[in-house]
Amino acid sequence: MRILCLVKQVSEPESPFDLEQGSLVLRPPARSQMNSYDEYALEAALTLKESLPDCRVCALTVGPASCDTVLQRAMGMGADQVVRLDGLDDGAGPLAVASAVAAWAKEQAFDLILTGVMSQDAMQGAVGPMCAELLGLPWTSSVVELALDQEQRVLGAQREMEGGRRQQVELPLPCMVSLNSGINRPRYPTLSLLLKAKKTPPQVVEAARGPQPRERVIRVSLPGKKRAGLVLPGDTATKAQRLVAILRERALL
Amino acid sequence: MSAAQAMGPVVAVAELAEGGLAPVSLELASLARELAGALGCQAKLVVLGEGAEPLAQEAARLSGLAVIGVEVTGLEMFSGEAHCRLLADLWPQLNPSYVLAAHTTSGLDWAPGLAVLLEAAYISGVESWRMEADTPCFGRAAQHGKVVEEIEPLQEPVVLTVQPGSFPQPEATTAEPGRVELLTRELPPCRSKVSPGAEAPSRDAALASASVVVAAGRGIGKQANLELLRDLAGLFSSAVLAGSRPVCDLGWLGYGQQVGQTGATVSPRLYLACGISGARQHTVGMQASGFIVAINSDPQAAIFNLADVCVVEDLLGFIPVLVEQAGASGNKLT
Ligand SMILES: Cc1cc2nc3c(=O)[nH]c(=O)nc-3n(C[C@H](O)[C@H](O)[C@H](O)COP(=O)(O)OP(=O)(O)OC[C@H]3O[C@@H](n4cnc5c(N)ncnc54)[C@H](O)[C@@H]3O)c2cc1C
Repeated sequence: MRILCLVKQVSEPESPFDLEQGSLVLRPPARSQMNSYDEYALEAALTLKESLPDCRVCALTVGPASCDTVLQRAMGMGADQVVRLDGLDDGAGPLAVASAVAAWAKEQAFDLILTGVMSQDAMQGAVGPMCAELLGLPWTSSVVELALDQEQRVLGAQREMEGGRRQQVELPLPCMVSLNSGINRPRYPTLSLLLKAKKTPPQVVEAARGPQPRERVIRVSLPGKKRAGLVLPGDTATKAQRLVAILRERALL
Repeated sequence: MSAAQAMGPVVAVAELAEGGLAPVSLELASLARELAGALGCQAKLVVLGEGAEPLAQEAARLSGLAVIGVEVTGLEMFSGEAHCRLLADLWPQLNPSYVLAAHTTSGLDWAPGLAVLLEAAYISGVESWRMEADTPCFGRAAQHGKVVEEIEPLQEPVVLTVQPGSFPQPEATTAEPGRVELLTRELPPCRSKVSPGAEAPSRDAALASASVVVAAGRGIGKQANLELLRDLAGLFSSAVLAGSRPVCDLGWLGYGQQVGQTGATVSPRLYLACGISGARQHTVGMQASGFIVAINSDPQAAIFNLADVCVVEDLLGFIPVLVEQAGASGNKLT
């Protein structure tokens, strides 16, 4: 059994940023991390590996060399192989990423592709399903429970929908599944595996070019306020006093 | 309409939930109408599934748009694969310039695949739009919901997924219901098989009717800090504790207490968001609250764009001071 897990590096959600000439620039102390939904996917892959006699997990990311840290973490968690597809333009959209992944994965005969339901930063949730369609694989998304029937080569997945409603989906292998949070508790990398990861550079492959971009970002701006958005000034006590007054005025307290 | 080439229609694909039209379906219809107006083409709504006819009639009445009801025997339950195949098969007949899907777990299960199949541009999570020169451009949240990206399609067709709650329901009109066209289609062969899943977690009944909700996000740091929120809730005569999804994933609160897309939708008089970043998946469940107060240490947190009052503070330090200032020693929630 061979599992491919797609992981993405994202900026930490609290990273400060500026907008400069319509684009986003992160400011220190911006840090990066593995997209949390991908951590769930990798944990699911590693759990499957542990339950199967002969299973290998490959973690793959698309991006420049600065994304190697996310692959180190993947190896630190237990991935057997790490691959980085290099050379796509900054800000390549989901189709470009999915095309690069599909072109590489086509030659590899994976039984299962796992990834997060979306990336925390871009929130599109498109790379997994697009990649599946490009590879001609069945897929499902937003999954919170997985069970593999290895004999039948069928994966049972519970997907969670609006309001917490659930649906069971049975997929023949090979297939692609994107996972939502809560499916497991992602493990921490172990020190010994992290040391090994530092000594094992990822396999770097030139990303295949997909179709011409079909859309482009023309501007990045701050969202408008939907409500008053009164920012309370002063020190902690002053803010607290002010908030109490506001709530009393409105007979909420 | 331009003389050179008639533009294909804007086609919204209705989302069905629990046997009826999900509210977002009519929001899609509103956007379809707006866009079609600007582009000078027609707007249509597609209703797909087993028993589509009555829903198509209802959609035509509520939206006033031309509706195509596609009766698919055996498509009782949502299937992303079936949606993708059926819409791809309808494509030559519909020849749309735009396809509008809901940005929901269902829409996101078929729209990306359809965009690949039909070589369409793909813009997801659309919350706003406007004409820029002669081309519509679409606003979506990015960078953890902290910024708006405006995206322009470079070609047609375009597949859009539209964030629920971003466009109005059509006004209740006495206008003519739209024309309904009925089609019948076979269920396409699908490799994935869908069936009913486990029961959704039962919701905390008090949450739905609470007048004050004190909501904990991952920013509370650890479960023990829920005590602070209980103290805060104790200031009000009947406040209920709720949480974001991560707080429930971590087991700090039960899933019955989760607010958001995959949890409960609430609209209390007061919603106190404590250590919640303001992801769309959370805010769809609380944005209709009467008054929203957000406490967050990140001045750029997305939740502040939705709040009436913004408190930029570490909640661990702020909440005890707030509770003290309010001076009440109300009942503590357990
Ligand atoms: C299909 C799908 C469905 C989903 N459904 C839901 C849903 O129903 N409900 C839901 O909530 N989410 C849902 N999510 C998840 C959602 O996208 C977000 O990940 C989630 O809402 C984030 O929760 P949070 O704000 O508590 O945590 P985070 O995003 O981690 O934010 C924590 C916040 O706390 C602040 N903070 C940290 N420390 C402090 C401190 N000491 N004092 C003050 N502030 C502090 C930080 O600045 C940050 O803004 C769903 C996601 C998907 C993909």
